[in-house]
Amino acid sequence: MAAEQLSAAAQLPALASDVRRERRSRLTGLLLISPAVLLTFLFLLFPLVFILQMSFTTGRSFLSPEGATFTTENFAAMAGRYLPNVLVTVQLAALSMVANLIFGFPFAYILVRKVRYRELVRAFMVFPMFGALYIAFGIRFLLLPGGPASPLLEALGISNLSVLYGLPTVVFAMSVFTFPFMVMNIGTALSNVDPTLEEAAACLGARPWQTFRRILLPLTRSGIVAGSLMVFGWNLGTFAEPVLLGTLNEQRSLAVTLYNRGVVQADYGLSSAMAIVLLVLAFAVSYVSLRYSRGALV
Amino acid sequence: MIARRPRFKLIDVVSHAYIWLLLLVFVTPFIVLVGYTLTATSGTSTAGNFQFVFGSFLDNLKWSLIISAATLVGNVLLALPAAYGLIRYPLPGKRLLYTIVTLPLYVPGAVIGLSLLLTYYFTYHLATSVFGLIFAMMICTFPLMLTPIVVAMKDLPVVFEEASECLGATRWQTFHKIVLPLIGPGVSAGLMLTFIIVFNEYLVTLFVHPNDITTAPLRVFNVVKTAGLAPSTTALAVVMQVISLAAILLFFRLFGTRYFKGTYLI
Repeated sequence: MAAEQLSAAAQLPALASDVRRERRSRLTGLLLISPAVLLTFLFLLFPLVFILQMSFTTGRSFLSPEGATFTTENFAAMAGRYLPNVLVTVQLAALSMVANLIFGFPFAYILVRKVRYRELVRAFMVFPMFGALYIAFGIRFLLLPGGPASPLLEALGISNLSVLYGLPTVVFAMSVFTFPFMVMNIGTALSNVDPTLEEAAACLGARPWQTFRRILLPLTRSGIVAGSLMVFGWNLGTFAEPVLLGTLNEQRSLAVTLYNRGVVQADYGLSSAMAIVLLVLAFAVSYVSLRYSRGALV
Repeated sequence: MIARRPRFKLIDVVSHAYIWLLLLVFVTPFIVLVGYTLTATSGTSTAGNFQFVFGSFLDNLKWSLIISAATLVGNVLLALPAAYGLIRYPLPGKRLLYTIVTLPLYVPGAVIGLSLLLTYYFTYHLATSVFGLIFAMMICTFPLMLTPIVVAMKDLPVVFEEASECLGATRWQTFHKIVLPLIGPGVSAGLMLTFIIVFNEYLVTLFVHPNDITTAPLRVFNVVKTAGLAPSTTALAVVMQVISLAAILLFFRLFGTRYFKGTYLI
C-alpha cells in the first residue's frame, strides 16, 4: 500500500517551487566548489596551457619584444636528439615497476594471509611518504667511500664507486620509494579474494603454481594493473634518485633534463616541450590505471 | 583422540623472514643516517652534529613551517566547502568537477614546477613572492586534502543533518555543530597528509622558490648534492624525517588509518 502511494507521488508533475528549490540547491553546490575549481584553473590548468603554447616557441623568444617565433622544432628535437632521454625515463620507471611487482606480490600475499602485525608493517612503510630525497640520500650515504657499507663491500672485493653510481642503484632507490603503493594496491585486491577458493583448489589437487595462475592472478588482476601503472606513473617524474645516485646516463631522465634546460639554461621552449611529453606519458598511464582501480569516490 | 603434534612449518618461517627482510631494507636508508649522526663525532661531541641544525638551518625550518601552516589553512578552507558541495548537493557534472580538482595528483612534480615557474615569471608576477610558493604547495596537495574529507562525508549518514534541520537549525549551524565534528578525523587525515607532503617537498620548491627563501627540504637537497660523509648533513635529514614520523605516528594513534583510503598514500 505505502509503496504504491509513494510511487504514485513520484509520478506527480513537479511543482514550480520544487523546481526553484532544486535550481537554487544546484547553484549553492556550484558556489561551494567554485573556489577549489578556481584554484585548479589558475595554478594548474592555465599554467599547463601556458607551457603548451610555449613549447611551440623557440628558446626564450616568448618574452622578446618582437613577439614569439613559432616552431615545431622542440618536438622534433624530442623525437630525435632527446629521444634517449624519453627512453631512459621510461626504462627507469619500467624497471622499478617490474622490481616492485616481483617483490610486492609475495609481500602483499604474506601480509594479507599470514601476518597479524599489519599495523607495525604499515608504520614501517610510511618512510617513503616523506619523499624520494631522503631514501636516495640514505642509500648514497650508505655506499659512499668510507660509509657504513664500505667494510662489507671491501670484504667482497667490490669498489664503492662501481656500486654507488649506476642504473641498479637508481632503480633500487626508486623501487623502495614506490614499494608501499604497489603492496597496498595488490593487498586490497587480495583481501577481497576468499581464502577458501585457494583451499578448494588445493583439495582438488592443484599445485601452488596452478592455484596462483588460475585463481589468484585472474582475481587480483585489477589491483596488479592499477598498482603497476601507478608506480610506473609516479616514477616517470623521478628526480632525486638520478641526481644523487645516477651516472650521466640516468641523469638524462626527463625531469632532471627539463630542470637543467629550463631553469639553469633558460631554454623555455625546449624544456616546455619536455614537460608536455612527460605530462602526456603520465596522464596516459594514470588514465588506464584509474580505469582499472575500482570504485570512484564521487 | 589423536593428539596433534605442533608442526614446524618451514614455509611460515620463510614467509615472515621475507617480510622482515624487506622491512629492514626499507628502514635502512633512515637507520644509516640516524646511526651516523649519533655516533660520528665532528670536532667535540655528537651533540655538535646538531649544531648545524640549530644554527642556520633553523631559518629554513621556520620558512618550512610558515609555508606548511599557510598551505594547511588555505587548503582546508577550500576543501571543506568543496567536499560538502560534492557530496550533499545535486551538482551537474560532478564526476568531471571531481576529476578536475584532483588532477594535480597525476601531474609529475617537475611539470607543475616548470609550468608554475614560467607562469609566475611572465604572467602572474609571483616569482619573487612567498605567496607564489604557497599557491604552488596548495595546488600540489589539494587532492590529498580533499579526498579524505570526501571519504568522511560519504561515510556520514544524512539523517543527522536532517534531524538537525527538523529541529530548526540553520544550514550553517548544522554544518559547524553536526557535520564538522563528525567528519573531524577525515579533516585531520587531510591536514596530516598535506603537512607531510608540503613539509618535505623539495622538487616543486626547487623550481618556484623566491631567491631569498630556502625551505628545509630544499636546503637538504642543496647540501646533499655535494655532501661527503659529513654528520652535520645527515643531522638535517634525520631531523626532517623524525618530525614527519612523529606527526604520522601520533595521527595513527589518534585516528587509525581508515581515512587514508583513496588518497593512494596508505
